Amino acid sequence: MVERLQLMSRGMQAGMVGVAVAGVLTHNLTWVPAAVVSLFVSIIPALARRDLGIVLPVELNFWIVLALFLHVVGGFSGFYDHVPGWDHVTHMASASLVAALGFVSVVTIDKYVDSIDLPRPFLAFFIVMFTMAFGVLWEFMEFANDQLAGTHLQYGLTDTMVDLMFDGFGGFFVAGLGSYYLMHTTHDHFVTGLKVDRARLRELRKKIP
Amino acid sequence: MGTNKKGAGQSLLASQTRERIIESEASWVAAMLLFFATVYSLLNFDVLWVFFGITALSLYVLPIVTLRDPFKALPWEMTVLLAAPLIMHISGGSEYLNDHFSWWEDFTSVAFAFSIATLGFLFTVELQMYTTVKMNRPFAIFFVVMFTLAVAGFWQIGEFIGDHVYGTHYQGDNTDAMMTLVWNLVGGIVMGFVYDLYLRALSERRRTTLGFIHLYEVPKW
Repeated sequence: MVERLQLMSRGMQAGMVGVAVAGVLTHNLTWVPAAVVSLFVSIIPALARRDLGIVLPVELNFWIVLALFLHVVGGFSGFYDHVPGWDHVTHMASASLVAALGFVSVVTIDKYVDSIDLPRPFLAFFIVMFTMAFGVLWEFMEFANDQLAGTHLQYGLTDTMVDLMFDGFGGFFVAGLGSYYLMHTTHDHFVTGLKVDRARLRELRKKIP
Repeated sequence: MGTNKKGAGQSLLASQTRERIIESEASWVAAMLLFFATVYSLLNFDVLWVFFGITALSLYVLPIVTLRDPFKALPWEMTVLLAAPLIMHISGGSEYLNDHFSWWEDFTSVAFAFSIATLGFLFTVELQMYTTVKMNRPFAIFFVVMFTLAVAGFWQIGEFIGDHVYGTHYQGDNTDAMMTLVWNLVGGIVMGFVYDLYLRALSERRRTTLGFIHLYEVPKW
């Protein structure tokens, strides 16, 4: 399972390289910057592992690459314009990714910061709110881009609202999944798997009360 | 303070300072306004605002009921902030201002954000009072800002659905909705900082006079 997920991640990264190369060769440059940036983002977990010693779960790593892949390949192939609902699929993928990263962060904070204690129901509530807040920030980014650069990332009110709804679904989904996960494993097992305590972040951690 | 049992109403009142009685009264008046505005919204099937009013009133009465002391009312300034957007929403004058001044709508968005941030602040406080949740100051401030933005997002979805169900057009176009959200964020960030300063700046004398803030002095928060 683990190897298969890693293999699929590599495949999708190759796909993003393909998009960048194909874009340059065919002078279709619109999606080349997005492909390059996404490719870079997709190797951040590997860099974090090498340089900081933080080990993200393989599933989460796969999820990161998947969300980026759907975005880049969908954009390059024109799926955003031609496949109905593609926009919402990528939104839900990235929203649940954000929710998952928020979940990992907040569980880690819960464990390592003494003055913070967050029981499971509150964690679920937090994840839903965090994802929605991030979804609104994302819409701000699209809105600002449309206003300043004259793009058309937001198709209209209905589209924006449905985006936010899918962000909400993503948040509820991960909140449920996360609660279920924590019910069947201990906080400690999950967090120690990240190896944050052995990460080379000691100097940073001393600054947190 | 506050150790009086039921039936000792007279001495409970006599034991309060004049200042504290006035402050509590101001808070009760604002809460009554909030209550009647919520009832009004209920009669109009204004679902979103009913939900808002019930949440705010619950957080308001929770300390009073659990501590059995009517003087454990929220500080009046917080109660006013809570009640303001709902009253702006239902008042007829608001429509007039909306038609005549372009800034009025942004102003109501900021007032709404102040109110939601106050709800978020009360959540952090009362969660620590009644549950095992523990937060430190930076996390609580982050929570207040994040909570405001998230509620604003859900609120827009709610308005959108409401417009479809009732066939109204309160929400306007995409730009209107986005600008509302932008002003909600601005209000949320401002209130995040304000509540941080508020807790630092409240004078010792007012703390003791109000007799409420010790509830909020959760250790190591």
